[in-house]
Amino acid sequence: MRPDLVRVVGLAGAAALAAFTVWLYATAPRTVAEVTGGLASTAGLYRVDEAAFAEGLQYFRKDQFEAARLVFERIDAARRDPVVQFYLAYSYYRQGWGRFYNDDELFTQGLAALDRAEAVAPGGRVVVADDPDLGAPTSEELRVELLEGLRADASDFNPLGALRTRK
Amino acid sequence: MKPGFVWREAVALPWLLLGVALVASLRVTVESELRILPPPLSALVLALLLLTVLVRCGQLDPARLVGGGRRALENATGAVVLVALWWAAAAVLALVIPEAGLPKLAGLVLVTSLLANTLAASGGRAAALRALFVTCLAGFVVKFILLDALYDPSRGVGGRLVTSLLEGVTLGGFQHAPWAPLTGYLAFATLILFFVALSLLPRSTPHPAEPDLLARAGPGHLERAGRP
Repeated sequence: MRPDLVRVVGLAGAAALAAFTVWLYATAPRTVAEVTGGLASTAGLYRVDEAAFAEGLQYFRKDQFEAARLVFERIDAARRDPVVQFYLAYSYYRQGWGRFYNDDELFTQGLAALDRAEAVAPGGRVVVADDPDLGAPTSEELRVELLEGLRADASDFNPLGALRTRK
Repeated sequence: MKPGFVWREAVALPWLLLGVALVASLRVTVESELRILPPPLSALVLALLLLTVLVRCGQLDPARLVGGGRRALENATGAVVLVALWWAAAAVLALVIPEAGLPKLAGLVLVTSLLANTLAASGGRAAALRALFVTCLAGFVVKFILLDALYDPSRGVGGRLVTSLLEGVTLGGFQHAPWAPLTGYLAFATLILFFVALSLLPRSTPHPAEPDLLARAGPGHLERAGRP
C-alpha cells in the first residue's frame, strides 16, 4: 500500500476512535445497551418495539405501573426513546402521587427519567398530544407536578389539598 | 522513509494509544454498571511531565514526528501521535491514581514526585522507562489491589474496623469506592499496552556524549570517537 494511503487510513481510523471516545465522555453511558443504543440512535437506526410499547401502555392505563415500567425498560434498554422515557417518568408520578402525601423516592426517579427523556428529545422537550388520558402531556407540565410534589412548604398542611386530583 | 515506520507511525501508534485512552477511561462498578471517566486536569498536567521525561531520556523524538522537513500529511500523522500519546498518558495516570479523597491527594503527590525524580535523574532511556513502569505499577497495586481489598463490600469486621479507623483519623478524608474486579484486569492490560506503545515511539538517535550509552558501547566506541 502506498505510504500516503496508509497515512490517510491511519488518520481516518484515529479520528473515528477519538470521536467515539469523546462521544463516550459526553454521553457517559451506564450499560453496554446504552452504548449500542446510543450509537444506533446517532445513526438514526434506533427503534423501540411498537407492539410491546402498546402492551406497556395498557399496563400504565390500568395503574399497573411496575409492570408497565418493566416493559418500558425492556423495550428501551438504551434509554434513547423520549416518549418511552416520558411514560416511564409518568408512571413514577402516578404511582407516587397521593392525596395526602407523595412518595419522594418515586418522584425523584420520575424526575431522573424525565431528564433522560428531555436529553434525547428533539428540542429538549416531549409532547404527547395523542393521549387524552394524560393530564400533563408535556415534559414541562410533568416536571412542575413532580417538583411541586417534592417541595415541602406550608401549603402541604392545607386541608383543601386533599381535594386535588392526579393528572 | 521505511514502509514499516509509516505503518507504525500512522496506524499502529495512534490506534494503540487512542485505544489505551479509551479503555483507561472505562470503569465497571460493583453493580456491573459502566462509568466513563475523562482524565482530570491534574492528570493532563502530569501527562505533560511524563512526555517531558520521555523526550529527555530519548525514548521520544518529537522532531521525527513533526518538523519543517516533513510534508503536511506526515506532520498531520505525527501530530496525531503526539496528541494521542498525551491523551493516553493522562488517561493511564488517572487510571492508577485513586479518584477521591486523601488517597487521590497522596497519589498525585507521589506520582508527581516520582516523575520529577525520573526527570532529574537522567539515567538513560531504559532506566527512565523502568522508573515509569514501576511508578504506574505501584499506583495500580495500591489502587486496585490494596485499597479495593480494604474497601471490599464483603469484607469482614476487621476490615470494617480498619477503614472506620482510617476515616476517623483523617476526619472522613480517607475515601475510596472499589471497582468491580473486571476494572482491575482491564487496567492491567491497559498499562501493559501503554508501555508497548511507548516502546514503539520513534527514538532520538544516540548522542556519543551520553555517559550511559558510552559505557554500554565499551572502550572500542571511545577509540572510534577519537578519545583516549
